[in-house]
Amino acid sequence: MGLKGNAAIVGAAQYKPEKYATAPRMFHLEQVADLAGRALADAGLKASDIDGLVLHGPQFHEAQVFVPAMAAEYLGLSLNFAEVVDLGGCSSVAAVWRAAMAVEMGLCQAVLCVIPARMAPFGPDEDPSWMARAMRFGGHSTAFGAPEAEFDLPYGHMGQNTGYAMIAQRYAAKYGYDPVAMAKIAVDQRTNALANPQASFFGKPLSIDDVLASKMVAEPLRVLEIVMPVAGGAAVIIASKEVAARAKNRGACITGFGEHLYFKSPTYATEMTDTPIGPAAERAFAMAGIKRSDIHAAQIYDCYTITVLLTLEDAGFAPKGEGMRWVREHDLTYKGNFPMNTHGGQLSFGQSGTAGGMSQVIEAFHQISGRAGDRQLKRCDTVFVSGTGGVMSEQGALILQGA
Amino acid sequence: MSTNKPLPTPTEISAPYWNGLKEGRLTIPHCKSCGHWIFFPRRHCDKCWSQDLEWNEVEGTGTLYTYTLTRVPTLPDFTDEMPQKMAVVELDEGVRINTTLIGVDEAEIEVGMRVKPVFDTVKPDGSALLRFTSAGKDFPSRIDSTPAALAAAADAQASAEPAAVKRQVRFDDEAAMRAMVSETYSAWSNQIVVDQALIDEFARLSGDDYWIHTDPERARKQSPFGGTIAHGALVQVLQSRLRIPLDFEVVGFNNMVNYGSDRLRFPAPVPAGSRIHARSRVKSVEKLPKGTQLTMEIVTHVVGSERPSVINDLVILYM
Repeated sequence: MGLKGNAAIVGAAQYKPEKYATAPRMFHLEQVADLAGRALADAGLKASDIDGLVLHGPQFHEAQVFVPAMAAEYLGLSLNFAEVVDLGGCSSVAAVWRAAMAVEMGLCQAVLCVIPARMAPFGPDEDPSWMARAMRFGGHSTAFGAPEAEFDLPYGHMGQNTGYAMIAQRYAAKYGYDPVAMAKIAVDQRTNALANPQASFFGKPLSIDDVLASKMVAEPLRVLEIVMPVAGGAAVIIASKEVAARAKNRGACITGFGEHLYFKSPTYATEMTDTPIGPAAERAFAMAGIKRSDIHAAQIYDCYTITVLLTLEDAGFAPKGEGMRWVREHDLTYKGNFPMNTHGGQLSFGQSGTAGGMSQVIEAFHQISGRAGDRQLKRCDTVFVSGTGGVMSEQGALILQGA
Repeated sequence: MSTNKPLPTPTEISAPYWNGLKEGRLTIPHCKSCGHWIFFPRRHCDKCWSQDLEWNEVEGTGTLYTYTLTRVPTLPDFTDEMPQKMAVVELDEGVRINTTLIGVDEAEIEVGMRVKPVFDTVKPDGSALLRFTSAGKDFPSRIDSTPAALAAAADAQASAEPAAVKRQVRFDDEAAMRAMVSETYSAWSNQIVVDQALIDEFARLSGDDYWIHTDPERARKQSPFGGTIAHGALVQVLQSRLRIPLDFEVVGFNNMVNYGSDRLRFPAPVPAGSRIHARSRVKSVEKLPKGTQLTMEIVTHVVGSERPSVINDLVILYM
């Protein structure tokens, strides 16, 4: 079952993360076209090579429904496969394997996966405060009949911070907690960002003491353990072997993937400290036919430090319950013995909405294609990438291997 | 609690649950086919998919599955609960519920502790939320958190405490007057509820009937605060209704003149339905040819909020 590794990422583009207030405003269709053009140029391919499209469906500015047809028309593409994903921060990883599947099934020769994440210009009749209102409940539905509107919001359970904090608190009660090890995750990633001029926090060193002294948001999570939202956007192109052969870069073949979800609120998880990345990663490694120790780098979705810790454990890199010790004993920088989030992770790169997860996919591709600049690993043929949406709700894993 | 807090809208499916809470009873669906307890309420069993369910009353006792204490409110409307003691409780029947803890100190909270239910009335129509407290605590199983009830309770507590003996300070005793200047605020005043009726009255009096104050429906949809907020000027004048317990009294003067304000700021909104209270400190004392001028900084806060809603440096001249 699964992929044979015949589809590869051959091109990528992403906007440098910027503050929402100062980032250029572009229509989402305009961003899709612009990012697609940049990714094509990166791959050395032409628009007529593209015959598949995967977009993130929700929050698309110009339409709530029929988004792919509108985008195909706008771009001038003729498609054999069009898909929207709706998996929050897991959408990037999810888009990549769906594209790879369409290629391997012979539906497509090249699929564009694109997530716009800059704000659109305001129309004359548009109320500029819509975003503040949309953000008020942080991804929680307020619709009549939505279980979370009825059973979460009245108690103040909303957004992501407290959900992740409660997972961390339960982890602490079950296995113990070391704030220094958690801070080290953010600090090692910052070291990586210092070698990445595209990162939001490039040129801004961070110490463990800085993290421990930062404002407590929801115990035990401090503000420097939480991603900063930024405007951005990203695209990748997944192509068949035939098309990849004429692309400029060494391709990153998708040799394994997994996806798993069964709750929205982790309250209803079987055990909230055993996260869905477990079965997703297990499937990805089995499909690729490789071991954890075959990995040269891990690009782990990092909305919070606790997300990284639990992914390291549940994806099988660190023993369950010993992640904090494991983090203390490993150097997670690009110079270290377990290079992780070598672009700085979203904690130091910035989280451009649901395109944030694409930063991890693109970093894996850049490392495999030998274009990671000052942070380039000496050898990087095999990379693990994870995606996480909601509150550890939807999770996915990719194994990428150099062609 | 602020009326801008999101409240549940029961559906046909969930109505028995919410009706139970109103009466101080916890009822949840139970699967007659496989015996599984179901939360949140659904029309089917999420284990065996049978639709043969019945509503059963349960004790409501359980254990604390996990929790967090918030240092930043999840919504500005929850500032009166800070820190929010957000919790997941696992009932003895096995189902888990998102809730908040009440009547427990921060230090007492630990994962695995035994808890029992508290039925908390939050709307004048009797609508209640399900909170939990430590099983070992002597805490009432039914409480009333409607804003009027909370303010009345705070008042009752304040009037039960003996009034502090006030130092008398002569207005012309410059040294004694200057000695009152302090960085430390007084104790809090009584609490009052700034409800929509009060806001509407002020809008009529002042002529400031901007929708963000007076149109709850539009404000719910369009205001960044998720509902109406009080006029800053209203909250300022309400300082007259807030009795701040001062430990001094200026005496010996013939006349006292309110000169107005040196600084007036409205740093944080007061959502309709919030409780407010105030405290003060003597900011400066100045000897003038006409008499002694005292500047009193009065700060009004939404109960629980660190950020003041009104800062008023009131200038008083004693002659």
